[in-house]
Amino acid sequence: MPGGQLHRRRAHAPNLISMRHTLRQAARASLQLVISAAMAFGSYIFITVLLITAIATAAVVGAFMLPETVLLIRRIAGAKRQQAGAWTGRKIPEAYQPLTGTVRERVRTAVRDPGTLTDFRWMVAYYGYGVLPVLMLPLWPLGLVVDGVWCGLLRRRAVVLPLISRLADLDAHWSTVLLKPSPKAQLAVRVEELVQTRAGAIAAHGAELRRIERDLHDGTQARLVSLSMRIGLAKRAYDQDPEAARRMLDDAQTLAEEALTDLRHVVRAIHPPILTDRGLVGAVRALAASSALSVTVTVDGLTDGHDGPRAPAAVEAAAYFVIAESLTNAAKYSGADRADVHLARARTGLRVQVRDEGRGGADEAGGSGLLGMQRRVAALDGSVTVTSPVGGPTVIEVELPCVW
Amino acid sequence: MRVVIAEDNALLREGLVLLLTSAGHEVVAVAGSGPEVLPVLLEHRPDVAVLDVRMPPGFRDEGLRAALEARARIPGLPVLVLSQYVEESYAAELLGVGASGVGYLLKDRIGRVDEFLDALDRVAAGGTALDPEVVTELLTRRRNSPLDSLTPREREVLKLMAEGHDNTTIAKTLVVTERAVSKHIGNVFLKLSLPPSDSGHRRVLAVLAYLQNV
Repeated sequence: MPGGQLHRRRAHAPNLISMRHTLRQAARASLQLVISAAMAFGSYIFITVLLITAIATAAVVGAFMLPETVLLIRRIAGAKRQQAGAWTGRKIPEAYQPLTGTVRERVRTAVRDPGTLTDFRWMVAYYGYGVLPVLMLPLWPLGLVVDGVWCGLLRRRAVVLPLISRLADLDAHWSTVLLKPSPKAQLAVRVEELVQTRAGAIAAHGAELRRIERDLHDGTQARLVSLSMRIGLAKRAYDQDPEAARRMLDDAQTLAEEALTDLRHVVRAIHPPILTDRGLVGAVRALAASSALSVTVTVDGLTDGHDGPRAPAAVEAAAYFVIAESLTNAAKYSGADRADVHLARARTGLRVQVRDEGRGGADEAGGSGLLGMQRRVAALDGSVTVTSPVGGPTVIEVELPCVW
Repeated sequence: MRVVIAEDNALLREGLVLLLTSAGHEVVAVAGSGPEVLPVLLEHRPDVAVLDVRMPPGFRDEGLRAALEARARIPGLPVLVLSQYVEESYAAELLGVGASGVGYLLKDRIGRVDEFLDALDRVAAGGTALDPEVVTELLTRRRNSPLDSLTPREREVLKLMAEGHDNTTIAKTLVVTERAVSKHIGNVFLKLSLPPSDSGHRRVLAVLAYLQNV
């Protein structure tokens, strides 16, 4: 029956691929296991270091060795995390407290860090399951013979060689379970991060206040003092020399106008008034309208106007500055004639994206504009990602965490 | 002229009243908050209304909204909007309902009394008064446009024209003859390929429409 023939041939085809596939898969798993074996071997040697450190710490004299040893364990565990993560395709998170300060502090942190216990537990377990790769050795000759006949000739599903992959799976699985930081350790790391960004925010706030103070004193106040002086002089000259008095009043008016302009700039830098008037979406639309580029603004989850939820003022201001800066940069350097701005309300905060199809090559470290942007966003515990390959497009993405 | 003032800051309100009465105008009513503006305007039907953008209760853009609403309700009512800061989009909104009898100025400009009164007269007479800062913003942000082909003098003329001045004032400001001004204006319209139009707000509109759309 022609139909049956066709059917059988079709059924065979995947098996042919399957043998090649099985071999390739087994080879990959073997490579993984060989690296694992090498790591296990390394950690067997490391046991001497551990013992020496333990003895030295117990005898107090060698306590300084402890943090160094912990750092070494971290590095080994880190390598294993990376290797296991690469195999499963799921990154294993890391959570350590930084070892800094005096020897005493370092020793204390090294002992108290929950990550140390996790790593130590893993290392002890690894002395046991580190032999797992050895099982691969008998599987290869056996698999080549059995699967060569079973799969290669009889076109059945391979049975022995896939076991090597299972071995690698097992190795990665156990490593994942053992190396995953405890929730406590993850929290500790998050707290550490928050302490740092909070300190950064306070420092940035302080610097901002000092800048405003300086602007007001050096610009606005100086002009007002000078203005008052001109009026005083004009009053004295009023009777004897009306012409001079008039000139001084002219000067006084110019100074008053300059003071007002100064003041407007200071206010704009603190909090752009249009944000108060129109909300973030309205303010960004106004920015888009006044840009030299033709800018499209798309909005997701935010409302136009005053109604509806609004992000905290600091977040809105940061988003506004980032967009203003990005559009200015795009207009100046990118060579593009259009740009897209996207604003989205996410569960965790506000997301902003500015994209232009220009020539790219924007340097994250180089441009002071980008640096200022980063500082402003980092102060709010947010993040800036700039992707700008040469040839474009340039995409600036900002995430500002907030509750609203 | 009969004027209505809408300004919540007592100091500025009194200053404006003083300035306008000393110039021979009559301040028929004052409003201190956004919702008060429209009823006062409907009741008094002034020759011109002077409005502050930011007013109670929200301290946002109540004055601007009131101005737009008033012009919808009382067609052709001249309004002069004052603000602590200028925003190009606000100017566009105001001019969107017709440039005849519209003014948008920084509060700072009140200090130049003569120029301020001149702008008020212009608006009341159906002309336009646009803050130089708005015009500068419009002129500077464009790249690679026919504006680049203008001579510095022609740019100055264009700027003053966009602010709403007539040929006489432009000539006086630039210390040239009115004939020279007409010649410059002709060149500007030619270079920007705008249809020649007579003086007044239609000319301002043509120029502004051009600037907003390049």
